[in-house]
Order: sequence, then structure tokens, then C-alpha cells
Amino acid sequence: MTAQELVARMLPPFAGWLAVGALTLPDGSPARVAAVVVFLAAGPGAALVRIWWPALAVRPLEGPAGAGDPRFGRRSALLERLMLVPLVSVAAVTVTATTLLAAQAFSGRRVLLLLTLLTMLAAYCPRTRPS
Amino acid sequence: MPDATPTHAPEGATPRPAAGDDPRPAARGSRWSAVRPAGPLLAAAALWAYAVRSTDVTTLDDFGLVTAVHPAFWAGLAVLTAGFWSTVRRTGRADAWSLAYVLVLLVMERATQALVYPTPLHAWAWKHDAVVGHLLTAGGLRTGDELGDMAVYDQWPGFFALQAAAVRLAGVENTLTLMSWWPLISSVLVLAPLVLVYRTFTEDRRLIWTAVWVFCVGNWVGQDYFSPQSLALTLHLAVIALVLRRFPAAERRGPRQAVWTTALITVMVPVVLSHQLTPVVLIASLGVLALTRRHRDWVPLLAAVALFAAWNLTASLPFLSAALPEMVASLGDIGGNVETGYGTTPTGTGAVATSWAARGLSAAVMLLALLGAVRQRELRRHARPLLLLTGVPPLLIAANDYGSEMIFRVLMFMLPGAAFFAAAALLPRTGPPGRAPRRPGEGPADAPGEGPADAAGEATAETPAGAPAPVRPGWLPLPVLLAVTFAFVPSYMGKDRLSYFPPAEVALVADLVEKAPDGSLVAAPNRNYPLAYGDYWRLDHYWFLEEDRAAVDRILRRPARALASDMKDQPEPGRCYLLFTQGQRANAEMNGQLSEAEWRRIEESVAASPFFERVAGNAAGSVYELDVEAVEAVEAAEAVEEAAR
Repeated sequence: MTAQELVARMLPPFAGWLAVGALTLPDGSPARVAAVVVFLAAGPGAALVRIWWPALAVRPLEGPAGAGDPRFGRRSALLERLMLVPLVSVAAVTVTATTLLAAQAFSGRRVLLLLTLLTMLAAYCPRTRPS
Repeated sequence: MPDATPTHAPEGATPRPAAGDDPRPAARGSRWSAVRPAGPLLAAAALWAYAVRSTDVTTLDDFGLVTAVHPAFWAGLAVLTAGFWSTVRRTGRADAWSLAYVLVLLVMERATQALVYPTPLHAWAWKHDAVVGHLLTAGGLRTGDELGDMAVYDQWPGFFALQAAAVRLAGVENTLTLMSWWPLISSVLVLAPLVLVYRTFTEDRRLIWTAVWVFCVGNWVGQDYFSPQSLALTLHLAVIALVLRRFPAAERRGPRQAVWTTALITVMVPVVLSHQLTPVVLIASLGVLALTRRHRDWVPLLAAVALFAAWNLTASLPFLSAALPEMVASLGDIGGNVETGYGTTPTGTGAVATSWAARGLSAAVMLLALLGAVRQRELRRHARPLLLLTGVPPLLIAANDYGSEMIFRVLMFMLPGAAFFAAAALLPRTGPPGRAPRRPGEGPADAPGEGPADAAGEATAETPAGAPAPVRPGWLPLPVLLAVTFAFVPSYMGKDRLSYFPPAEVALVADLVEKAPDGSLVAAPNRNYPLAYGDYWRLDHYWFLEEDRAAVDRILRRPARALASDMKDQPEPGRCYLLFTQGQRANAEMNGQLSEAEWRRIEESVAASPFFERVAGNAAGSVYELDVEAVEAVEAAEAVEEAAR
């Protein structure tokens, strides 16, 4: 594993712990809001998509008629990956917060801790293999 | 259905030079040419910034921001649209320029209100802030026994749970700041899945970005506000994009990828948890796709149905079982489902004009889409799945009225496909469908001074290789693009007089909500005011103009007396308040609930009545408290008198 790969792998859980640490900052302070928003918007999604992507990328993708331009296809795949990161994050936050509300156990800290643990677990998981 | 869809190689395939997707700018050998799009972009942004600084919203007329905004706004919009068309019509411009234009357009469209108004718009958005407040206060979901009709939000809590987590973690009091900026955020979020859908059917970046532009200006229906459906639309489009791109029919599919199914389900889950209608549209759309030869894969449809059934048969069963008889009754009642009902008729020059502008805008986009689909035969054939998806939402009109909002939701869900074909109507017919235009320098099509060729295009020429060169669109479509872009402003911002609540109005209602004892009743003409649902878990409401017309006529005959009788039965320790604000008045007048004279008669009757005491007020409205004992004494005396007779 290269240093760059290690950084990419550990960045999402680091952002999660940074957000946990930011909770000690005053309510509504810009640094706290930024740390929380960045992690909630991208952290869990980045960690999960990193695991999934090798298996995802192996499936050929549909393209326009008369196409076959690999650069266009690769850029579309990149956009697809970039789209999945925030949307999977949104899904993770939504499911976690809804579950805690349904269990009458909702608190912001619990949501953040659960998501940070999920992100850390995902960072330690090996990436899927193309089959 | 003929299968004309090629399959891109998996990632990692050997790259080869691309004609249509070269990231390098057109250049034509000149640095000036490469940065030329920056000129109109910066000029438009500067004009917009000046307009925002110079706009005064203290007095809004019936045209809302249309007449209030500084004229520099319109100039900026014109410069931006012309600059966009000049940029996008040239082949070989980097996608980044088109994206930059679209982002500036979204800022002008969706951030202007956030900057010129000191408080968030739309009573419905304030209602959603109240739902988030309820979840934070309760710390859990509640049932219909505790919340009445508002329990529906606890049965589809996904979006609100997400926002509640964000509010609590950021340490802010409420979602009001987020609410102001949400139209911009949700509109930017939708871009990625939208572009991805379009990239499935064409490599022509002119078509892709013109379609994105038409989508942005055609999306006036206001579902981008702080609401579950704004996020659900993005997720819905993302699912459609993934299915179109990664779930082809079996013969092209290769080995099934469980991981793609996992990713797809992950994106579907928040749609099901957040919104009632979007999963229905999603299932119908996936069903239509599964029926086509090109996308005959039942896995996405079955996954969506399973998630939908699982949620609706458990968490949201109480709402569904209560609403089922009405849903069954409205099935097939197309007339009833598009009927808007009393109190929703645009009234007054401003409301009527802006309503017609909105209708005209939607009609123009749909007509252009029809023209594009008829004119671009090859594109129509190849993008048939998108055409079919565009035909799904109108079926919903036969199913339900969705609180008189179905027609707007149908327009919203049709727009991605309609915008694509509308853009195709503005571009010249091309040879092989979806082929990317050639890079500048590869053929004479991009040479300066080309002559007219097509109704909307210029310069048909042969490339050195003998393949037909793409035709560069002329300037004829620009007036059309300008017209739909300008029409967006009255359609989206023309009713701001009733959507905007000045700080005085917010302060008045916030003070009332804070001081009202548990179990109090807050009566008002209608619910168009901020915090109308503030603390709804402990306060009752009575919006008397939202009753049927006969009940309103009864109130109009003896306003103070009728209202006092309607309001008095509130159990202790609750008190009874009657609230009048300028937002309610704007809504009553602009939607045909009451004339100005009728409104004045009600207010004067209450002000002069011995049953009501004015307990608070400012320039934006008044709060009256009902003297329940006085009402009961008069009613008792009248009963004795009646009995004696």
C-alpha cells in the first residue's frame, strides 16, 4: 500500500474523529459546523465506496450510441463515483438517525459516534475484488 | 426495441484519444479564446452581486421580487445566458466552462432570495423546521394518538432525522439558516445524477449542458425548498442513472454484481424513509425500464418494491390504513385529482400574471420537448428509455391528487426527460445519434465565419476522414433560451409577497408560540405565516379560511361572534389566541380566499369586539386573546332568552 493509498483510506475515519473532537467547540462555531458537515456529507460514503469500487468498476457501463470513447466512459464513471460518495453518506446518516429515533434513543453524539465507527470499520476492511 | 447501446469498457481499459471529451479547451491556438467564456461569466456575476446589494424588499407588491429586484439582475441574467450559449455552441469547450455557467445560473436563481431576504421563505419550509424541532424535543418518533395529523412526518422521518442530526451536531438552534440556502444546495446536488443520466444517451456536451440549463430554468415548481422531496428527487435520479448505466439486459450484463445491487439499495433506502410519493414514481419508472429489452433486469424493481413494502407495511402502516379509503376513491378521478379547490385561485394582476408566466414556461419546455423528440429521430430512438421515463409521471394524475399538488409533482418528475428533448430541439440535427462533436481543428465546422445550414445551425462540412462534421448551432435558439430563462424569474419569485415573512412577523409569532401555555389554541385566517406549526405537539390550530366556503360565509356574516363561538371550547389550561399577520393577508388576497374589504371587515370586527383583547402586535400583525368567560356568559344569556321565547 502506497502512502497516498493509506492517506485516502484513513482520511474518512480521521474526519469522523475530527468531528467528534469538534463537538467540544462552542455551539454553532464555524469550525465545528465545517467539521461536522464535511464528515456527514462525505465520510461514510467515501469509506464505503472505496471498498465497493473495484467490484463496481468491473461491470461494463452503458454509453451513448455510436460511442465507445473510453475517455468519455471513464469520466462518466468518475462522476458516478463522485455522486455516490455524498449520496451514500446521506443514506448512512439518514438510516442511523432514523433508527435511533425509532428506538427512542436519539442524540447527536450517538449518531456521530456510530457513523465514525462504521467509517473506521470500513477503512480497515479490504476492498472488494473484481469477480 | 432495437439495441443501439454500446457498452463502454470497464475502467482500466486502454485509453485512446477522444474527440468529444477532450478536457483541453478549444483554444484554436489562442490563449484568449480559451478564457473567453470567463468574460460574460464574470460580468454576469458582477451585475448580479450589484443587483443583490441594491435590492430593497421592505415593500413588495403583487409581483414579488420581479419588480423589487434591481434591473442589473435582469442584465446579468441576459449576459449569462448569452455567454452560456456562446460557450456551449462551440465544440471543444471544456465541460468546466459549461458547469461554471450552470453554477452561476443556480446562484442567481436560488441564492438571490437567501441574500435579499433576512428570513427564510415559504410557510411549508417553516413547517419542516417545526418537524425537526419536534424530533429534537421528543428524541424519538411519536404516534397519531399524540400528534394527530402531524404524525405523518414521524412515519416518513428520514429527511427530518438527517437534519435533526446535523442541527444537534452543529450546535445551532434550528434549521433556519440551512432553510434559506437549501434551494441552492438541493439544486446543486441534483446536477450530478442529472448529468449522468444525460451522459448515458449522448456524448454531445452541447446537448448535455443545454439540457441541464433547460432543467434549471424549467424547474420553477418550488420543490427545491427545505423538504424531503427535494432530496428524494436527487436520490431518485441517482437510482435511475445507475440502473440506466449499470443494469442492462442479461445479454450485455455479464456476471451479476451483488455489489452494484448493494449500492443501489443503499441509495434507495433514504427515498423510502423520507417521502411518500417519490418511491411510487421510482417503482413505476423502474417497472417501465424493466419492460424494455435494453434494461430487462428485474433486480432494481424488485429491490424497490421490497423496500417500499417493508416500510409501508410497518412504520407507515397507520397513515396508509387511515388514508386508504380516500386513495381508493381518488383512483381514476382525473378531474378531481387536478382540481385545486377553494382558496387556491390566483387573484389580482400580479398573481395572475406570474401564474401564467409559470404555465407558459412549463408549456414551452414541454412543446420544445415534443419538437425535439419529433425532429431528432435518431436521438429519440436511442434515448427511448428516457422518453418512456418522461411518460411515467403523468400516470400519477389518475392515481391521486396528493393534496392538490399532484400536477406540480408530475411536472417536476417529467422535467429531466423533457429538458433533454427540449434541448435537442434547440440544437441542429446530427448524424449518428449522440456522437460527440469533433474537436476544433479536426474539421472546418468550428472555423469562424461559417454560413447557415440548418434551421438552428451553421456550417455542415465533411471532416478529413469523410465523416459528417457536427453542425454548430446558430444564434436562433438564443432568444428561446433567453425567454425561458427570464420566465423562470416571475414563475419562481413572483409570489414572494406571500412567501416572505419580515422579521417583525417572525418575532410576533415566535413570542406567541413561546408564551402560549400547553394546550392553547392558535387561530388564524390561514396557515401562511412563519412558525404556523411552532410547538405543534403542544398547541392546537384553527385556520378558518381553510374550511369550506359555507363555513367562511358564516364567519363573514358576524366575524367576531362566529370566531369566538368556534374557538371557545379549549380545555384548561389552554388559552385561545387569534392571530392576524401580513403573510396571511397576502395569501388570502392573492389566492382568492378573501377580498381586501372582507379581510378588513374581519379584522375590524375582532378589534371592536368585547370578546377579544389585543395582547400583542407590531407593524406585521396583531395577536388577540379570547375572553372565554365573556363568550360563555353571552351564549348562556341567549340560550335563556331563546328558551323563554
